[in-house]
Amino acid sequence: MEMGTIIAGILTLAILSFLYRDNPIYKMAEYLLIGVSIGYVLVITWTNTLMSLLFVPLFAGSDLWLIIPLILGLLMWARFHKNIASLSRIPIGFMIGSGAGVAIPAMLYGRTLRQLSASVTPLVDSSGVPNISGIVVIAGLLTTLSYFYFSREHKGHFGRLAKVGTFFLMVFFGTTFGYTVMSRMSTFIGRMEFLLTDFLRLAN
Amino acid sequence: MKKLEARHFAFLGLFLVVTLTMLLNIKLDMKASPYTQALYNYIEFLPEGSTLIVSFDHEASSLPEIRPIATAVLRHAFRKKHKLIGVSLLAEGTLIGYRLMRETAGEHGAEYGTDYVYLGFRPQYIAAILAMGESIEKTYPQDYLGNPYGQFELLKGVQNYDDIAAVVSIADGSLTTHWIEYGQARYGVRVVGAVTAAMVTTYDPYLASGQMYAMMGGLRGAAEYEKLIGKDGGGARGMLAQSSAHIYVILLIVLGNIAYFSSRRTKGSG
Amino acid sequence: MGRKFPLAVCFLFGVVMFIQYFSQSTAARNLNQTILDYWQIVFAFTLIVGVFSFFKNNVTHISRGADRPYRVVGLIGFCSMPILALIWGIKADTPFMWMFENVQAPMQSTVFALLAFFVASASFRGFRARSLPAAVLLISALLMLLSRSNIGGYFSSGLPEVANWVRDYPSMAARRAILIGIGLGSLTTSLRVIIGIERTWLGGEK
Repeated sequence: MEMGTIIAGILTLAILSFLYRDNPIYKMAEYLLIGVSIGYVLVITWTNTLMSLLFVPLFAGSDLWLIIPLILGLLMWARFHKNIASLSRIPIGFMIGSGAGVAIPAMLYGRTLRQLSASVTPLVDSSGVPNISGIVVIAGLLTTLSYFYFSREHKGHFGRLAKVGTFFLMVFFGTTFGYTVMSRMSTFIGRMEFLLTDFLRLAN
Repeated sequence: MKKLEARHFAFLGLFLVVTLTMLLNIKLDMKASPYTQALYNYIEFLPEGSTLIVSFDHEASSLPEIRPIATAVLRHAFRKKHKLIGVSLLAEGTLIGYRLMRETAGEHGAEYGTDYVYLGFRPQYIAAILAMGESIEKTYPQDYLGNPYGQFELLKGVQNYDDIAAVVSIADGSLTTHWIEYGQARYGVRVVGAVTAAMVTTYDPYLASGQMYAMMGGLRGAAEYEKLIGKDGGGARGMLAQSSAHIYVILLIVLGNIAYFSSRRTKGSG
Repeated sequence: MGRKFPLAVCFLFGVVMFIQYFSQSTAARNLNQTILDYWQIVFAFTLIVGVFSFFKNNVTHISRGADRPYRVVGLIGFCSMPILALIWGIKADTPFMWMFENVQAPMQSTVFALLAFFVASASFRGFRARSLPAAVLLISALLMLLSRSNIGGYFSSGLPEVANWVRDYPSMAARRAILIGIGLGSLTTSLRVIIGIERTWLGGEK
C-alpha cells in the first residue's frame, strides 16, 4: 500500500473519531488541516497569481504601471502597525468601490430584471387552457415577495398573501433539505469508498 | 467512558447502512433525469473541437461528490474532442482541477497545449470573470505552470468569451451565480453547470430563466451522466449506498414523527 | 486622510466601474481590464495578509502556552507547504501535490462528511410536523429523497416527474423571490457604499 493512502486513511479515521466526541486525536488533525490549508492558499496565491499577474511582468519591465497595485497591496500590511493602520483602508476602498460599481448592473439586470422577465409567461395558452405551472410561479413569486415585504404589517388580505408565501418557502426549504441530505450522503459515501477500497481493501 | 446517546445510534445506523451497501457492490440501473440529459445533449451536439472553459469552482471539502461529476463531464468533452481551458476561481479547486484534467486527458490521449490547457487560479472571482470577458490572455498571461499564454496552439485566437462555446462551472457553492450574473449577463457567454446536489435548488431559477443553459447535480447526476456516456465511475459505484442512505434518513424522519405524535398523545391524555 | 480619502477612492472606483459598463469604447474596455487586474492583485495581497495574521496569531498563542501542541502541529503543517513548493515546485507528482492529495483533501472532505451524520441525527430529532407549514416542508423533503433514490420507482413511476415539477415551479418560484429580494438589497447596499452612506467597511477607529 502506498504511504499516501496510509496517511490519508489514518487522518480520515482521526477526523471521523469526532463522531464519538471531541478528542485530542481529532483536534490534532484539525489543527494540521488548518495549517496545511493556509499554507496551500499562500503557495497557490503567490505562485499562481502574484507571480504571473504582478512580479513577472513588473520585473521584466513590460508593465511598470503595476507599481500601483503593488503599492495598494503593500498598504494592506499597514494594518499591523497602529500608527499607519488607517492606510489599509485605501486598498479596501478601492476593492469595495470597484465591487459595488460592477454589482449594480449585475444585480439589476443580471439578477432582478432577468428573473422578473422570466416570470412573465402567458397564464392561458392559445386554446384557452390555463397554464397551471405559470400560475404557480407567479403566485409563488408574488406571495413570497409579500412575505419579505416588512414595510407593511402582515394583516388582512396582505397578511393572508404573506401566509401563502410561507407555504411556497416551506416547499423550497424542504426541496433544498432533500437535496442537501443527498449531497452530504454523497460526501460520506465518497470517503467510505476510499476507506473500504483503497485503505482497508475490503471492497473492489 | 462516555455514555452513548441517541445520536450515536443514529450515527452507527448510517455508518452500517453505507458500509454494508458498499460492500455488496451492486450496480443500480437508472434513467437519466431531464436535467442531466440536457447537459449531456449540449456537450454531445456541440461541433467537434469547440472550445470550452471548465471552471473548477469548488473546495476540497466536496471532492468526493465533485470528482465523479467533473470526471464524467471531462471524459465526455475529451471524447468529443472539444478543446478545454481549465481555470479555478477557488484556491482549493486549483490542484483538483489540474489533477482531474490531466487524468481524463491521459485516458483520451489528449495533449497539453493542443487539446487542453490549465490556466489555474485567480483569487477575486468577480474581477476574474469580468476580466476574462475583456481578454483571457491579459487575465492569465501564464498558464498554471508558468508558461506564456501565447505559446499554446489551443489558445491562439482565443481572445475572450466570444471565442468560447460555453463555460462549464463545476461548483459546490454559489460561484456559478457569478458566472451567470457577471459573465453571462454582461458578455453573453453561455454557462452550464455541474454542481453538488446541495446547490441544485439555488440554480433552479437561472435554469428556468435560460440564464443557465443546462445543469446536472449531485452524485446521482454523475451516475446518470456516466450511464449516458457509457463509462461507469464514482457515481454508479455509490448509487446503492446513496439510495439506501436516503431510505435510512426517511425512516429516521418517520420514526422521529411517530415518537413525537405518540408523546403528544400521551401528554394530551395524561 | 483617515476616512475621507478611502471614501473618495471608494466613490471614484465605484462610479468609474459603473459608468464603464455602458461604454464599448476601447479606452473604457482597457480601463475596465486594468482595474480588474489591479483588483485581483490587491485581493491576492489581502489573502497573504490573512495568512500572515494566522501565523502571527499562532506564534502569540504558542508563546503563551495556549493549546501549544496543537498549534505547533498547525504551524508545522502551515510551513511545510511553502517549503515543499519552494524546493520541488507545484507540478503534478510533487511533494506539494502529495500533501494536498493525501493530507489536506482527505481531511477536509471527511470534515464535510461528518455533516451526513449530523443531518441524519437532526432528521430524527428535529424534523417534526409540528404545524401545517412544517408538514409541507417535511413532505417536500421526503418527496425529493424518495424520487432521487431508486426505490422511488416502486411507489409510483410518476414520482420523479412529480418531484421535478415541485422543484421546477413552486420551489423555484420561492427561490426566485429570495433571489430578487437579495438582488434588490445588494443593489441598494452597493449604491449606499458608493455614495458613502454605508461606511461599516471603514471599521470603528478614526
